[in-house]
Amino acid sequence: MLATILAATSGDVTKAGKAIGLALGVGLGAAGAGVGIGLIFSSMIQAVARQPELRGELTGIQWLGFALTEAVVFYGLLGSILAFVLV
Amino acid sequence: MRRAIFAIALLALTLPSQALARGEFDPTDEFEQHEWIPIHIGPLDLSITKAVVYLMLGSVLTMALGIVLMRWRLNVQPGTRQTYGETIYDVAQSQIAEQGLPSKAIGLWFPYVATLFLFIFVVNMIGFIPLPLTGETWHGFPVWGIYAATSSISVTLALAALTFVFTHFEGVRWNGPGRYFKSWIPDAPKPLLALIVPLEILGQIMRLISLSVRLFANMLAGHILILTFIGLMFILETVILAPFVITVATAFYIFEVVIVVGIQAFIFATLSAIYIGSAIEPQH
Repeated sequence: MLATILAATSGDVTKAGKAIGLALGVGLGAAGAGVGIGLIFSSMIQAVARQPELRGELTGIQWLGFALTEAVVFYGLLGSILAFVLV
Repeated sequence: MRRAIFAIALLALTLPSQALARGEFDPTDEFEQHEWIPIHIGPLDLSITKAVVYLMLGSVLTMALGIVLMRWRLNVQPGTRQTYGETIYDVAQSQIAEQGLPSKAIGLWFPYVATLFLFIFVVNMIGFIPLPLTGETWHGFPVWGIYAATSSISVTLALAALTFVFTHFEGVRWNGPGRYFKSWIPDAPKPLLALIVPLEILGQIMRLISLSVRLFANMLAGHILILTFIGLMFILETVILAPFVITVATAFYIFEVVIVVGIQAFIFATLSAIYIGSAIEPQH
């Protein structure tokens, strides 16, 4: 099985590995950040549903948390791009 | 009028002119820095590049914004223009400065934090307005394109380094070096300290990296996303994709302009305020 696959492989395998690494890095980072952002907004909805008068104060904290969580994807992206370019 | 501006901006976006000019499309072309006016002083390279021109434009616009909105022909009964200025000032004071800075330092550091907020917002914003500053010409006309100075790591790292230096300078100035550096050591059992203190020092340096990379990668990813989606048409060489590609690119464009540009400026300024504030009044 493996031998047939290897025999059929042609072209630049390193490039393919790099591309897979880049996609995996960004994709896993995005998965984590997706869960995190979902948690932030769900707790925001719950908080506002329980105490609507706190909405103004909570909005600032919500966006702060959103941006801090969202940045996690970009750390993954940056690491992947570094791996893609340097290796 | 507003619709006309929007339509023109869209039209300029849908023409990735670099691709037309070069014959092949590469989204990273946008981020190349060419020396327009070379200035070399010894080992220092102070050449004027695209990013430098955008930064100069950004600082001039920031000053104009501050003067026009907040200094020029003020009335007791504010008009529309003055209301915008007062809203920006209010956000900068109540949402950014008072979040992090203690009241004894707010007079000293509010101008710095508010300037960071306005400046990063303006530089991000002109990054999404098509300008004839790509440095390329097409049949004699300058090519229009979008580029943000904050999508270059040198710019954001310089801004983050300012905050980093001010943080520790203020920490030492208000508390004295002994008390300030002792505040880095948390209350923990002695054997654990050998593990915690290096982490704490690493955390201080990581702040510099996370502050700069957050802004840089956000703007870079936003521009790459828009360019790549429009570039799909040129990579696959079909026009059939155009409705799909332009819709998605416009959606990302609106998301970036409405949410990311403001949020990133807000975050950078707020975190600067929190870092400087926590150095002036350490927890322990």
